[in-house]
Amino acid sequence: MSDFQRYKDIIFYRTLSGLKSEARRNHLGYAWFVLEPLLSTAVLYFAMSHLTGQRGAVAVFTILVGMLVWQWFEGSIMLSAESLTKKFHIHQQVPLPKYLFPLVDIGTNTVRFAFAFLLVLAACLLVGPGPSVALLWLPLVLALQLVLIIGLSLVISIVVTLLPDLRVLLQSCFRLLFFVSGIFFTAERVPAHLLPYFHANPITVLIESYRAIILDHRAPNFGLLGQTLLSAVAFLALGAFVQAYYDKRLLKLTNV
Amino acid sequence: MSDPLIRFNNTGVYYRMGRKRSPVVGPSPWALRGLNLQIQRGEKLGIVGRNGCGKSTLLRLLAGIISPDEGTITFSRPGLHVQLLALGVGFEGNLSGAENAILSGLFMGKTRSHMESRLRDVQEFSELGDAFHRPVNTYSSGMNARLGFSIALQTDPDVFLIDEILGVGDHAFLLKSQAAIREKFKSDTTVVLISHDAQVIGDICTRAVWMNRGEILAEGTPSDVCRDYESKR
Repeated sequence: MSDFQRYKDIIFYRTLSGLKSEARRNHLGYAWFVLEPLLSTAVLYFAMSHLTGQRGAVAVFTILVGMLVWQWFEGSIMLSAESLTKKFHIHQQVPLPKYLFPLVDIGTNTVRFAFAFLLVLAACLLVGPGPSVALLWLPLVLALQLVLIIGLSLVISIVVTLLPDLRVLLQSCFRLLFFVSGIFFTAERVPAHLLPYFHANPITVLIESYRAIILDHRAPNFGLLGQTLLSAVAFLALGAFVQAYYDKRLLKLTNV
Repeated sequence: MSDPLIRFNNTGVYYRMGRKRSPVVGPSPWALRGLNLQIQRGEKLGIVGRNGCGKSTLLRLLAGIISPDEGTITFSRPGLHVQLLALGVGFEGNLSGAENAILSGLFMGKTRSHMESRLRDVQEFSELGDAFHRPVNTYSSGMNARLGFSIALQTDPDVFLIDEILGVGDHAFLLKSQAAIREKFKSDTTVVLISHDAQVIGDICTRAVWMNRGEILAEGTPSDVCRDYESKR
């Protein structure tokens, strides 16, 4: 079990280093963890309030929650897509499990998310809708999203290393997802006949669950969350398989 | 003779680089083929050969970085620590020399507590002084190499893999680092040294293997093998 401890330490040190370098790259340092989602929210709020006429704190929080959840998801997976190629020289020298590298990127991005999310949550409780028992469901939804992120990242980190062209395709997929996942609008705006498709998207389900809990003070839709859990577990299983299969083969298949 | 530490049994590896899906790329995709070799505990095995003889592939197989495509490689026990002497593995510029010593050691198979207990030795051998606690991206390339070498020296693997005995740093440190590597050859550590320089292998190894195009051409005492290698190259 000493390997497990060692891998844990590697993830810790690399995550620490990732956060340090991010903070040192810019003058505002860690403030960007919060500023970035705030800026995107401001842009989206400006556009949406003019289009739909919905204004006020609720509209801001609706977009903010969607934006934070999206950035945690998208950021982690895009970082993971490159985490093996970026550190290829390490893989040529030491026999480390490849999955450690996407996990480090997820770790760094999760810390960023946690900072911003806690602040937004605090703001919701103080000036927004206030506290409620529904908040007890929050850890469940957060855990589910983390599992989904890890599962997808495990698959994508290997696939993109083997087929680098897919990275461009991945970016396009994310751009599409950004517009259809209900980040800056809610399910009420979706035509009834499209709702099943809308809810087939795990990101949509997660965003709606967060909004239900934080803004509407009600329990999330467990039927939809169950579906999301199934897809998350499927990705995790596929990811574990892909990682195990390619771990000692990767260097024979590519020379990045 | 006791059981070998590592045993190659008809081992082969091929690379499937590039965009072609078929395993046949170029005249021979096999980087290693039909390798039969045993490495005994405590021996200093020298491998000579020219570029492209399959030595990097052999090192990666030994270090457990890649798996064989045919045949087997058997280690005497699971978790046998085989380590390539590599400088500055996984250095992160914004972490201090001390933090990088721990991180790099973790990469090379050591625990955090092991590396923490060796920090003083690393600092001393690297002659970095107070700079040891400053971020590595403030170091000169010489300081970087000194730190990397000093860390690698503290990893104490069961089997040390060395790809050419290269000294690092300025003249004084160069001599010191070469002496430290030669010291490893006097200890009980099992060492596999790969070099194109038959002279070095003849000097410090106890057994030698000559490899060419992924196959073993000769195996025996360093003096015999190196004489053959020198005469036919």
